[in-house]
Amino acid sequence: METSYLKRPIPLRMIVLLGLAIHGPLLAMQLPISTSYDANFHIFFASHYAQHWFNPWNVKWFAGFSQTTYPPLVHQWIAVFSHLIGLNMAFMLVQLIAVLLMPIGVYRFSRLWVDERASSYAALFSVFVGAVAFLVYSAGQLPTTLSFPIYLLALPYFYDWSRSADFGSLIKGVFLILAAGSVHHVTLIFGAVPFALPVLWLAWMDRKRDSSGLAVLSRAAIFAILAAIGVGIVLMPYWISIIQHPIEQIPIPHASRSNLLMNILYLTNYFLMPYGALLLAFPFVVWIGATNRRLWPLLFGFWVTFILALGGTTPLPKLVFGRAFEILTFERFTLWASFMSLPIVGLIAERLLDRYRVKAAVGLALGAVLTLCMPMAWLSLSPFKANSDLNVDAVIGFLNRDGHDQYRYLTLGFGNSLPRISTYSIANSVDGEYNSARLLPEFTHYGTAQLTSAKYFGTQGMESLRAMLAHANHYGLKFIFIHDPYYEPLVAFAGWRHIETYDQGEITVWSKDDTPPARPIPSDAIPTAMEGLMWGTLPIGSSILAILLLLFIPDHRITRPTEEAVLYPVPVDERELVRETR
Amino acid sequence: MKRLLAIGIFIITVVLVGISWFTSGGLARQRMYSAQTPEEAVRLMVSQVQAHNWDAAYSRLANRGEVDKAAFVRDLAGSNGSLLTYANLESFDVWGLHQTNQDAIFRAKLHYSTAVGPLETFRDLKVEHDGNTWKVFWPTTRLPKLAPQVIPVNYLRWDVINRGAQDDWGVQNVDNPQVRIISMNALQRPDSVVLVGEIVNEDTIPAYVNVSATLLGPDGNEVAQEGSFDKISHTLLPKQVSPYRIDFPGMRMDKIKSVRMDAKAMLIAASADPVIEVGQQHIETDALNKKVLRGQLVNQSGQIVNIPHVIASYYDGNGKVIWVSDGYVDQELLPQIPVSFGLDVPDDVAKNVQNYHVVVNYYENNNS
Amino acid sequence: MRALISVSLLLSFVLTTALWSAELKVPPQVTAGNAFSISGAGSGQGTFYLIGPAESIKRQVDLANDIQIQSEEVEHVGRYTAITCGGDQCSSGHFYVHAAAPDRLGLIVHPSRVPVSNPNAISAVVFVFDDFHNLVLVPQSVKLTVTPTAGSSISESRNTQNGVTWVRLNSAPKGGPAKIEAAIGKASEIRVVQQVASDACNLQMKSSWMSGKLVIETNPVRDCTGNFVPDGTIVSFTKTDADGKTTVDVPLKKGIAKVEMPVSGQAHITVASGVVTGNELNVSGGR
Repeated sequence: METSYLKRPIPLRMIVLLGLAIHGPLLAMQLPISTSYDANFHIFFASHYAQHWFNPWNVKWFAGFSQTTYPPLVHQWIAVFSHLIGLNMAFMLVQLIAVLLMPIGVYRFSRLWVDERASSYAALFSVFVGAVAFLVYSAGQLPTTLSFPIYLLALPYFYDWSRSADFGSLIKGVFLILAAGSVHHVTLIFGAVPFALPVLWLAWMDRKRDSSGLAVLSRAAIFAILAAIGVGIVLMPYWISIIQHPIEQIPIPHASRSNLLMNILYLTNYFLMPYGALLLAFPFVVWIGATNRRLWPLLFGFWVTFILALGGTTPLPKLVFGRAFEILTFERFTLWASFMSLPIVGLIAERLLDRYRVKAAVGLALGAVLTLCMPMAWLSLSPFKANSDLNVDAVIGFLNRDGHDQYRYLTLGFGNSLPRISTYSIANSVDGEYNSARLLPEFTHYGTAQLTSAKYFGTQGMESLRAMLAHANHYGLKFIFIHDPYYEPLVAFAGWRHIETYDQGEITVWSKDDTPPARPIPSDAIPTAMEGLMWGTLPIGSSILAILLLLFIPDHRITRPTEEAVLYPVPVDERELVRETR
Repeated sequence: MKRLLAIGIFIITVVLVGISWFTSGGLARQRMYSAQTPEEAVRLMVSQVQAHNWDAAYSRLANRGEVDKAAFVRDLAGSNGSLLTYANLESFDVWGLHQTNQDAIFRAKLHYSTAVGPLETFRDLKVEHDGNTWKVFWPTTRLPKLAPQVIPVNYLRWDVINRGAQDDWGVQNVDNPQVRIISMNALQRPDSVVLVGEIVNEDTIPAYVNVSATLLGPDGNEVAQEGSFDKISHTLLPKQVSPYRIDFPGMRMDKIKSVRMDAKAMLIAASADPVIEVGQQHIETDALNKKVLRGQLVNQSGQIVNIPHVIASYYDGNGKVIWVSDGYVDQELLPQIPVSFGLDVPDDVAKNVQNYHVVVNYYENNNS
Repeated sequence: MRALISVSLLLSFVLTTALWSAELKVPPQVTAGNAFSISGAGSGQGTFYLIGPAESIKRQVDLANDIQIQSEEVEHVGRYTAITCGGDQCSSGHFYVHAAAPDRLGLIVHPSRVPVSNPNAISAVVFVFDDFHNLVLVPQSVKLTVTPTAGSSISESRNTQNGVTWVRLNSAPKGGPAKIEAAIGKASEIRVVQQVASDACNLQMKSSWMSGKLVIETNPVRDCTGNFVPDGTIVSFTKTDADGKTTVDVPLKKGIAKVEMPVSGQAHITVASGVVTGNELNVSGGR
């Protein structure tokens, strides 16, 4: 048995503990609440489920919108935990679970491609991946960061079933897919192909001697059909809403879709920070991936996700996604590309440690820490600020007193603090932060996102704001809270009067005196009671079932007698590779 | 084969990135930086302005010795809280009017996104050949300076004391001001129905007014409801008259049986200052052969008016209001310094206009 | 919710008990805020309930003695039900509490601001209350006094009907605050109505030259009854000359609106305030 720590696999539980040690304190400090774009948004969604579990119609935004437009699982779990530890800490707990699932998912995924030691290094590096820090602490994309490791956990079962027809793997894999889909639809829809195809390719290459390639493909097709049917049923209300109201609004600009080479800030934000020192490894990833036939599927998967992550820097994403290109944001592809490269990076680390021992360990550690720290430092250095930690207590207090909730309100210049106001106030807004749920023509006819950030969308944003203000009486829009004096001239010329000031003039309140009380705005997007029932039971039911299956049905793969048949890169090849990389 | 795959991936990646760089205007941008044609010189300078890179933009001027950098920046970015200080240059277009080997004149159409809506301005720029490159000759604008003087202030101001929470039952608030719609005219425009008219504050106290209208169909049901939005002067001093305009996009007159007008007035604290003179008003035909009401605003008070908003009502021979147009002025009104304005008048309206009345609404960022 | 259930149960119990109980001897009428007693309704310890229009009371009493009702327990006008329960038996009785003597007035005067010489433009409505804010329904004589800015005050007494009386008044021909007072006994309330000038009447302007500029000013602007139009009222001057048309909206100050205008060639000048137009001037420029 190998005695040197540098030559032994790192125990997975130690890696998970390291993840807990790094991300636990940051999440306990509730960092994403104050630094990220979307944390408040997800908490707002969760707060609705905490109060109206079976009614996905939320009247607090856009004069009413359906939460069936976003898979509910992550929000429902936050809602469940919130009754014990409050909304903010419930969000952090679920985010921590997501972060801790990542090394486990990466380890299991890597074990398909490389040996146990390299897989453990891949899992270790996953704790430090800059894209994770970027998505958790800057983007606040909890569903992406939770659904992805669940999806990674499902892939080995897909491999096992496709390769060796293990029925337990089929059941567990499908239910994990259902859970992943219930957490985040985009990950499932757009992440499935670049990850599943390489794994299918591998299963086809690794198939048993007496098994035909057609059998592998047939089993994969069965898996895919069952997963598709399952997701179709579990997320039925989502599909109904998306078919009833397909996203036909004018595209909203997003920096991740631009050509990153034309703007150094975008390049830094969407390329340098998420990848960090991993960029140094990419040439070797390509080289090693190309020189080992068994790693070709992984290499192609990595290359595809890497190119897609570049957004508008190459024409490929637009060609591949067509109209969906204008709806997607591409930072999540950076996470996928990073994780796709990790098995090979683990292999590189293994070879480096074998050759350079402590020097390599120090270098790799420095690289890993640097990769984690860069996006964390970028949180304060970046000119892009989420503006999500404003003190909005006065605004919430105003809305919750003296019958002010009879009217709708609008915030201007509040950035990502809007969901926090919506979470804790009883009044309703005409604005909102979720682009796909907007059905009001004042939004869909203009290429702008939230009205609260209208100025950042230029003429389109301000025209959208003008349209909304012009229809204030229709929506019962009486109160406007301004945190950015830029908006004051328009509001003043449009007939609102300044009535109150908070936080030493940081926030001003404006009122339009002739606005009638708000009335419900009719909508054909209100989910039926049956849809509400399905929404409240099937997604969370599928996740609970997935957990139970994982706990009580043992993994056959561990005891499978033909394990040795899976060929990992042989040491001879690897030595040659390392020599070539000098 | 193995090496070929790695090299192939590398080459395909580079090619893909190169294609997008080219189609995104990367090459054109590189050429623009050389400023080897007059158009490139103007585009370079304006793009630097767009990026708020004032040093670089200023360095592209041929007459830097004559143009003060602060004045150059003020010219393009505004000052004293004017509309330009609330504006971002969103896009621009450049085309030539005249060109020789040594100089050229180019027109730049600047499209700003401002706090009150889009704003378009035109600049005719002279460009001079300077060595290997072309440089822009920026017109020197000498800001008129007001002689030291004392400007009397009216000190007329109304404050409001409302009923307190502790007051006895029966203690009434001050009544809202009396306002009256003195005219209303419904017009069919190509793509909308437009209501125009005037409203007067008949009271002896200032009023904050909003006018809204509801269109009723033949069956008496509401067809549409809209408000005057920013096409009215919301603050009316005693006996002051304001035009108003209410647009109903996509509506047709034949679908409307009647109109219900609603003028809401609130009592507000207000000041009689500033007094703004609207001088030299006349309708003329501009270079694009469009009718424009032009004039000059002169702030007769001592305080700065940050964003002036001009609203004009046009009358036919019978004194009936036949149109209302408005526009924001991108410069601030300094005391006694005239600032020009221009309002578009539709051609079909202009031929019937016999008289017009201009009022000036304004925004001051220190007391809003 | 729990409170609602408790109250409902209590009321059901009390009403049921009242329906099936003997009559309690209570005074038929009581004046609000006056203490009184109810004769004993049995022997031994019992429970006493008092249900009024605004409050309910429950306490343990000795049924052999008189039950004392405190003054603060009968402050609100209306029908009260008193119930005593001891052993298996309950007794009940009803009485009315009437308003006490007038002690407060509610005076609503509308509008707060009125143009001069307007007939029936002011309305004053008086409500008579006792010390506990109960409306006094018994007819009372209220003295109404109007004190104009100038001149002596006028008084008139009016009897209330169902606690209310009102009066309509003409606004005076002279502007200024008018004081309206309502009094009954020691109680009185005062409201002030601002009587303001009407539209400008006979609006006149004149011009003179000063430092090459034409100075135009109005005569003191008054309404048709001679009141000064308030300062701040907008007067619009419009000049049409070779340079085009110039308009200036000027607020009145000390009753006069004044403006300076450069004139180019022949100029025609008009003046208006609201919908009222004044005289016109034709002047020659270039001085």
